[in-house]
Parts: sequence; C-alpha cells; structure tokens
Amino acid sequence: MLKNYLKTAWRNLWKGRVFNIMNIIGLSVAVACCIMLFLTVYYEFSYDKFHTNLDKIHQLYFTKNGADKVEKSTSMPAPLTPAVKAEYQDIKYITRMGNGGTIVRYGNKQIEESIRFVDQDFLKMFTFPVVKGDNASPLKDLNNVVISEFVATAIFGKTNPVGKSIELNYSGEPRSFVVSAVVKDFPQNSSINFDLLLRFENAPEYQANMKSWDHHDHNVFVQLNDNVKPAVFDARLQSFVKKAFKTTIADMKRDGARPDAQGNVYTLNLLPFAYNHFDTELVGLEGNSVNKTYVMALLAIGIFILVIACINFVNLSVARAFTRAREVGVRKTLGANKWQLLSQFWIETLLVCLFALVLGIVIANFALPGFKATFRSQISMNMLLQPVQLAVITGLFILITIIAGLYPALLMMRYKTVMVLKGTVNTVKPGKVRNILLVTQFSLSSLLIVCTLVTWQQIDYLKSKPLGYSKDEVVSIPVGNSVNGARSLELFRNQLNGEPDVVAVSGAYDNMGSGKDGSTRTSIIGFTYKGHDIHTNIQGVSYDYAKTMGIKLLEGRDFSREFTTDSNAVVVNEKMAAQLGGKNVVGTYLPMDDKKPSLIVGVMKNFHFRSLRSEIEPLTLVLSGYEMNYIFVKVRPQNLSKTFSMIERKWKQTFPNADFQGSWVNENTERQYKAEQRLSTIFISGAIIAIIISCIGLLAISFMIMVQRTKEIGIRKVLGANIAGLVLLLSRDFLKLVLLAALIAFPLAWWLMSKWLQSFVYRIDIEWWIFALAAFIAVGIAFITVSFQSIKAALANPVRSLRSE
Amino acid sequence: MLSLQHISKYYQTGGNKAYVLNDLSLDIDQGEFVSIMGPSGSGKSTLLNIIGMLDEPTNGYHYFMEQPVHQLKEKQRSALYKQYIGFVFQAYHLIDELTVYENIETPLIYQNIKGAERKALVADMLDRFNIVGKKDLFPAQLSGGQQQLVGIARALIGKPKLLLADEPTGNLNSKQGEEIMELFSKINKEDGVTIIQVTHSEKNAEYGSRIINLLDGRIESTTTL
Repeated sequence: MLKNYLKTAWRNLWKGRVFNIMNIIGLSVAVACCIMLFLTVYYEFSYDKFHTNLDKIHQLYFTKNGADKVEKSTSMPAPLTPAVKAEYQDIKYITRMGNGGTIVRYGNKQIEESIRFVDQDFLKMFTFPVVKGDNASPLKDLNNVVISEFVATAIFGKTNPVGKSIELNYSGEPRSFVVSAVVKDFPQNSSINFDLLLRFENAPEYQANMKSWDHHDHNVFVQLNDNVKPAVFDARLQSFVKKAFKTTIADMKRDGARPDAQGNVYTLNLLPFAYNHFDTELVGLEGNSVNKTYVMALLAIGIFILVIACINFVNLSVARAFTRAREVGVRKTLGANKWQLLSQFWIETLLVCLFALVLGIVIANFALPGFKATFRSQISMNMLLQPVQLAVITGLFILITIIAGLYPALLMMRYKTVMVLKGTVNTVKPGKVRNILLVTQFSLSSLLIVCTLVTWQQIDYLKSKPLGYSKDEVVSIPVGNSVNGARSLELFRNQLNGEPDVVAVSGAYDNMGSGKDGSTRTSIIGFTYKGHDIHTNIQGVSYDYAKTMGIKLLEGRDFSREFTTDSNAVVVNEKMAAQLGGKNVVGTYLPMDDKKPSLIVGVMKNFHFRSLRSEIEPLTLVLSGYEMNYIFVKVRPQNLSKTFSMIERKWKQTFPNADFQGSWVNENTERQYKAEQRLSTIFISGAIIAIIISCIGLLAISFMIMVQRTKEIGIRKVLGANIAGLVLLLSRDFLKLVLLAALIAFPLAWWLMSKWLQSFVYRIDIEWWIFALAAFIAVGIAFITVSFQSIKAALANPVRSLRSE
Repeated sequence: MLSLQHISKYYQTGGNKAYVLNDLSLDIDQGEFVSIMGPSGSGKSTLLNIIGMLDEPTNGYHYFMEQPVHQLKEKQRSALYKQYIGFVFQAYHLIDELTVYENIETPLIYQNIKGAERKALVADMLDRFNIVGKKDLFPAQLSGGQQQLVGIARALIGKPKLLLADEPTGNLNSKQGEEIMELFSKINKEDGVTIIQVTHSEKNAEYGSRIINLLDGRIESTTTL
C-alpha cells in the first residue's frame, strides 16, 4: 500500500510540478533561513551553559543611586574580596579577575598573550578542566601560571609544558613563571576567555591597590553555598557596604543621593552569571554581551518566515486540492476510507516537505559563510546533529506536514462525492480561511517592511548627524602594546612634519568611535568642588588636539607648548562648564587632585565623544597622566586615499614591529552602529524573503481564482468589458486584502519601532509617510504578482472558456 | 437483495420542497438486470446514487442484503458498499495518474488484499477483458471504449454482487456501446452479478430483464422483458 501511495504521490507531484516547485522553493528558502536563525538563537542561549556551577555563580556590582541617575559598575577594589570572604560564611568560592596583556618569552620564541589575574577559587568555580599538570591546586604558588591548550601549542608545540619556565613581561620588567597546568580550551560560547591565568597577587600595583578602597579595576565572582539564596545574601551584603564605604555614602548623601526602596544609596549586588551574556545594561561584563531584543528579533523573524512559508504551503495545497477533487471522489467510490485518503495526502505532503528540508539544508550550507559574516554568528552546520536539534527538527517537520497537509486533505474530503463526480464543485466560495492566511502573510511582510524603513532612516540619521568635530579628514591610529604611546606620538609627529597633506597631528587616551583595535576606554573621575560632587569624563590628550579634531573653542585657548604650566591645565566642554556653574570658568582651578589643583584654560563646544545612543556628558581634557593610546592625523581633503597610504607607509617605516591599524574616524563612528546595521540587514533580508514567499503563495492563489472565474470573465468579455477593467476587477479583491494586512501590521510596527528608537537619545520621529510607503510597497508588489494571472485571464479568448461549460 | 420503501429526496428552495424522488418504492432481486429510464431531471441518477450509497434520501427505508442501510453508520455503510457494490460512470472516472493496471488494482488496495493475491486477481481481470497489452498505459492513451472497459474491470475486480452503471455508454459511439452492453449481459448471466443501469437508449435498456420508467421522481411504469 505504501508503495502504491508513494507512486501516486510522485506522479501527482510531477503532474503539478509548477505548483510544487514554487512550493518547494518557498519552503526550502524558509527552512534555510530558519536553520540559520534558530541555530544562532540557540547558540546565543547556550552561552556559558558548560559551567557545571552556572546557577550558583554570581558577579558582584555596585549600584550608586545618585541625585539624578542610577549608576551600576562591576569594577571592584582589591581589598574587597578578602574582606567579604572573611565576613560571610555563605560564600563557597570567591575570585577576583583582572586583565592584562603580556609578552611571553620561551627560548627564543616571543608572542603576545592576554592575562587574567585570578584567585585560586577561579578554577574551582568555573568549568575549565585541567588536562595536564596539577589538577588539585594549579595556582598554589605565586609563580604558577596556568595556560590554555591553544597557548600551550603556540608556545611549546608538542613538548609537555608542565613544569617549564616562561618569562612574562607585563609590567615593564620580565618575570619568570612556572607552568603548573594546562586547561582545556574554553568553548566558543564562553563569556570568559583567557590565554594565561596568574595569581591576582601578581597584578601590577597589587600592594598599593590592596590599601585603596577607591581604586576599582577588576571583576569579582562569587559562588554561594548551595543552600544560600542570592536575594538573601544580596540583602545581607549591605551591612558590609555601609561599614566599608562609609565616606562614599556620606559624600553621596551630601550631594542629594536618592535612596532606593530599602533606603540605601550605595549597594553591592549580585548578577547571576547565567544572565551575563544578555545583560547589556551593566558596563564591563565579560565577553560580548548581546541584546536580548536582537536575539528575539532573530527568533521572531525565523518564526515569521516559517509561518509565512507554511501558510503558502497550505494555500498552494488547497489550490492543488481543488483540481484533485475528482480523484478524491473516484477513490471514495472505489472504497477508500477517510484515513486511507488522509494518509495518501499526508505522504504527498511529507515528500514535498522532505524535498524542501533537504534543499533547505543545502541552501543553508551555501549561505552559511555569508550569514556568519553578516550577523557575526558562530554557528556551524554540525550543530544540527546534536540530539536536541535533531529532535526539534523532526518534531517541527512532522508538525508542519500534519498542519499543512491535513487541512487541504480535510477540505477535499468535505466535497460531496456526487457533486464532484458531476463536476459541479467549481462553485466553491472563496475561502475565509484562505483570506485570513493571506492577510496574516502580508501583515508579517508589511511589519518587516516598516521595520526596515525605520531602521534605515535611523541609521542614516546617525551617520549624517553632525558630531561637533571633523570626522572625515582625520585618521585614527591605535598605537598598540608593543610601543610606548607618548614616545611614539612624538616620533611619528616628527616623521609627518613637513608633509604637505598633513594639517595636524595629535594623540589621545581614548579613540573616537570604535577603531580597528575594537577597544574603547572610559575614565571618569569624581571630586568635590565648592561643596558639590562633580563627575567628569577624562580624556588624556596631546597638543593640537582641538585643531586636529576640529573642535571649536568657545572661551580661552587650547593647550600650548608655550605655557609650561599647561601640564597641569585642563580644557573642559560646555557641559562640564555648566556643571561648574557656567559663566567664567576659564581661569578657575579644579581640585581634581588634592595636592595640585588644575587650571581651566579653555572651554570647548560640546561634541559627541560617545555614540549617539547617549547624551553628551561632562568632559575634561588633560595633558598629562594618561597613556597616548591613539594617534590622530588630520589631513587635507584632497587625495584622501593617497594620503592614507602615505601615513601607513610612514608608520611602517617608523615602527617596523607594530601593526598599522589606522582608519578614518568616520569609519570608526559608523562602526559604533554595527549592531544597528546588523539589525537592519536582518530586517531587510527577512522582509525580502517574507515578501518573496508571500508572493509565491499569492501567485498560486490568483491562479486558482482565475480558473474559478474563467466563465465569469468570458461572459463579461462577451458583454463588452475591456482588458484594463477586467484586470482591475480581478486584482481588486487581493489588493483589498493586502491593504487590510498592512493596516493591521502598522500599529504593531509603530509600537515595536518606537520602543527600539527609545534606546537612542538622538533619534528620528516615525513619520506617517513611512507607513504610506510601506503600504504602497506591499500593495504594489502584490499587484504586480496578481497581474501576471489577471492579465492572462483577461486576455483569454472567451469562446474557449464558455464552450467548456 | 435490495428494497427501497417510500424513498423521498427533496431540496428546500425558499418555502417550497423541490422533489427529486417522491415516495418511491422498488424491490430488486439477486441476478436481475434492471434498466432505469426517463427524461432529464426525472431522478434516475439520484436513485442510482442512493442505491449506491453515494447519496442519502431525505426519508424512507433502504434495505440492502438484509441490512437496514438507513440506520447504518457511515463506517458500516462504507464496509457494506466496499464488499458488495461496483460503480461504472458515464465519464469513466479513471484516475489519470494511474496506469490501467493500477486503476484496476486500487479497489483491492482499499480492501486490504495482499500484494500477491492482488497481482493474480488483476492479471485474471486483464486477461478476461483482453487488455493485457494495455496494462501499462495511462487512461489518456486509451479510446473511450477502452477506458470504459477498464472502468468496468475496475468495478468488477472486488467481485461485487451489485453493479451500478450511470449511462455507461453515454460517451461512446454505438459500436463501442453495443460491446459494453454485450459485456454487461455476459457478466449478468455468467457471474450472476445484479446490474442496475441508467440509460437514455431504448436499445441499451432492452439488454436488461426489467425496465423502470421514471417521471418527476416517481415510477411511471415497469416493463418486464
């Protein structure tokens, strides 16, 4: 019986191959999209799941309930960890984690690696199993170093590294460490990554930092005892905070801090490490946190596309079923019962779906490299072979075949056998279900169109908004670790001196936008000024910074080599000046440092030194005390690319050992909105795919309707209707449905996009014409699709259609 | 074998009842060959469909093989139908996607008959109808007469007790029609299959043992030949 079913199924599929190919194309594209999107979503949700103690690990962070805003910070002072551990029995393990970079020397090999300074508990809390060496206490001695397998191969090749000595230079002087253990490489979906683990006591300035509760520079993770509830522990921590940060709390209260519900202004809290990957609110978390909305958008679009494709499948099958009603009737007279007929149609559906699945996997395989690059996804097709994924795919597959195959089959069963055999079934009314499905498809498509338009507009706005400094003619070069910043700046400035295309050269502590090195630095200091707590961003700069960056000075002057006292001077922005009292701040002294107050020599116009997601904050430029991490070169607007190559050449001549990672500042500022651009790419791809699949369905339905209305068209033509009138008549019903779909989608789209826009301080308003445009696009595409069939039907010779009656 | 008592079938149109069959009673014995005649709209096809359980009467009693069909559930009716009744149509209604062989085999599949047995039965039938050479052709490749031959073979493959034919020669020329009618009387005589056919042709009607004339949903006259 099965063989017979398969045979008829195959012949039927072949007979309706135009329909079925459309069906399979639509479905397989959807399958490919869903595979990639759902795998990405799965991957994001799988972050850090490999830690066996994941649920018990928490990261500490401070919450500061200031007068006008709540600030959260994960940076901790060094003495906090031992103090908390001594105070609370609830803590099973606790570890600090500081960062550093080092040059590793072994024999005559020399490579750059990153360091994590941790406490001994680190390897007990997190699941980074030791594969070679001391398993019990790998960081027992201060001169122990634990390395990852990857680093072990990089340094030692095939020889066993355990017990070997390596020389690390991370603080200016080389020190020798003994490799005590090699740990398994962390998986890609790990928030915490490392090359070398050293004891925290080896961190630079450790002794000094242990005496200071004000210097916050590392993260702290705790694992609570099994029976301790995080919320309870969180509450208990506050007595410690009150004791240890007495002065901070007193200062905050003086400045009008607003206490939280429990009456605390400064608290120490726990963030479950399991949330780490999705927490984009807390600054300074490990790994690349992703916004959950972004992941949810992927999931939603995947579901949209799947739903649209399934609807198509149902509609196409119904259209086909319509032509096969006679077969069903005949089979019934030959003694087929309901289940036999249902299983026959289910097998056909199964075959189509199977084709689509296989084709979809093939498409996904081809599309994967592009997808991974565009969406920064780490997935691979092998991930499909895990039991969970296989089960989900099989389940989803069967579910879809049942829904998409059974409904049309049931519809066919409903036809009265006698009517079918007489050939009077043609009078079926246009299905309500079909219309609902069509509206659903186009609602989802319109939703995606609106999302695309809004994100495009917002990104365009972000890119074109003036930032208050010149970004088009400035090259930013990250200095890198291998050379000293201030010295290399002087060297490079001399090298470029006299180049006709170079206008000015300067350096700074923090970059503008996001450079090719991918780093951003934030330095904020607070001090008391005239009885107020003042907070300001600090940017360490070199001479000519304002000139190089094209920043306008409102009052006073920029730093100058002619004033030797400028090493202790500052230039502030308007916002900072306002905070200090507004008028006449030039010439006043700021007690930023207790011993040496700094003189304000200039006030500059506000400029967007951070992304447009946030407001302009107070900013203070200082000349000394900060590393020069970036060199800025302002060039003449002519021959930009030639000048850029000249700068690169000069850089390589001057620093043969350092990479050149320079880029235009406008590239850097655009790079800040990569997440937004990715989102818009997702929307536009989703929208295009959704529309294509919807249109395939529309095409099939219009085909079916035209067949049903052949006689009517023939009669109208005989009565004198013209072609244009007929096309309009035939298309009108569809266009009404698409328009309705668009109207349904708009409120949802408006709500979603206004929520998204709220994450930007500087944003566009959603204008009415975006909706009009979206509706126009949807209706236009639908009209073109339908007109393929309607024009054909309208042009047909009426004699033929009427004769067949 | 078959007994219809006070069968009526009507459609409600507005306030009026449009009768297709009006209080019709009819008994048919095993081995009879009945021809139903009458003008268009007299209810011939409806009567045949009711006998064949493709349609249900609005009211009345219907007995088939000693079973009260009007009381049976869908499933039992279907089982009864499968076992005893074969149908031949004017438009042949072969399944276009299946070959001659497969078309004939299909009813056996629905009766859950094993593959080997099916093969033997279909081979016998092909042999008997002299269409062995055509077994792998599709319906579209056959002439009308040949298609109807396949249709009859398919109706007979399940060894029905009752063969229902709705204008079986309606789409055929007179020579093909004659051959089909010859075949019918042979089946009736040799295999003892009861046949009820609807026809417009006096000549074809005379192949039967009884002619029933319908008019406006009633039996107008009955002629026994």
